[in-house]
Amino acid sequence: MTYVLLLEPNTLLAKTYTQLFEHVGYAVGHATGAQEALAIADKRTPDVVVLELQLPMHSGVEFLHEFRSYSEWLKIPVVVNTLSPPSRLAALYVALQSDLGVTAVLYKPQTSLQVLLRTMRQQLAQI
Amino acid sequence: MANASEGAGGDVDSLLLSVAEQLKIPLTVIARQAELGHMTGDGTLVDASTIRVQADAALQLVDSYLLGIRLLREQTELPLEPVSVSSLLVDVAHSLERFAEQYRVQLEVSIAGKYQPVMAHQQGLKAALVSLGFALVEAQAAQGTGAKRVTLAIHRTPHGLVTGIYGQYEELAAKQWRRALQLQTSASQPFHGLLAGSAAGLFVADAILRSMHSHLRPGRFAGQQGLATTLQPSQQLRFV
Repeated sequence: MTYVLLLEPNTLLAKTYTQLFEHVGYAVGHATGAQEALAIADKRTPDVVVLELQLPMHSGVEFLHEFRSYSEWLKIPVVVNTLSPPSRLAALYVALQSDLGVTAVLYKPQTSLQVLLRTMRQQLAQI
Repeated sequence: MANASEGAGGDVDSLLLSVAEQLKIPLTVIARQAELGHMTGDGTLVDASTIRVQADAALQLVDSYLLGIRLLREQTELPLEPVSVSSLLVDVAHSLERFAEQYRVQLEVSIAGKYQPVMAHQQGLKAALVSLGFALVEAQAAQGTGAKRVTLAIHRTPHGLVTGIYGQYEELAAKQWRRALQLQTSASQPFHGLLAGSAAGLFVADAILRSMHSHLRPGRFAGQQGLATTLQPSQQLRFV
């Protein structure tokens, strides 16, 4: 069963995404912050990570630096699904994609559940 | 040199940006909830209560923002009147109840003792505390695992009646709050130690309180950290 690590600080949105993923047969580990997410990943290696960059305490970028520092998690696809608009992310794109291995960046308010799911499936198919 | 109206204009702009950023969250929750039901064909997955509470919270934020900018634009102060802060706090808790339930945060009100009325503007004070409450409940929900509790409390100090909202927030101290106020106009997460988003509710609350000769500041209550405002007791009624 595909295991999704969902890093989403808003617990209501997390509930909606979790319901969606479970509906299509995925298992979900949810964290509201970076430390908690690393602990969850440590217990069970995810097949894909869905990540909000705007997190309380440590940012999503800080999470990615830590996450990618472990060799066993280097190849895991990471889909960024964030409230940060593309205009704000422009300066980050190179770092996200080249240095931190982010495979897709989505703008959350304008990303439907269908698009999110399709993007995740595409990333999983490329492993 | 910037004059007062230019300064107010800057505050209005930064508040607007902050509120616009914040509104993305409830609107995204509502949109995705509606889509989930449609996509799965399972009506039971659509939580009508979540949609209603999120819509109400968004409307409340817009109303509080409008009150805040009107005060900033007009450079006016709210007329102060004697207000029973104990009753008002219970009223605020009632307004936050469903929102807190959605986020699985337990809401408590702590009013130990009797307090004389304070000089405030009833509608303004309620709007400020509700805005603050929405933000702090959301922040508490995102603070890792375990039981989550937010307390609305009043306590007396030599400076006045401190009225605030408290919880378990690791990064809520005077230094972080000052920095958040400075970053309000330039950062997408001005108070990243506390909130993932723009923290608009905190800034709107502060703007309204400033028009009542008060402001928000970090405080502690019964081992919890939070944001509070100090209100002056009504001297007139003290002797009645």
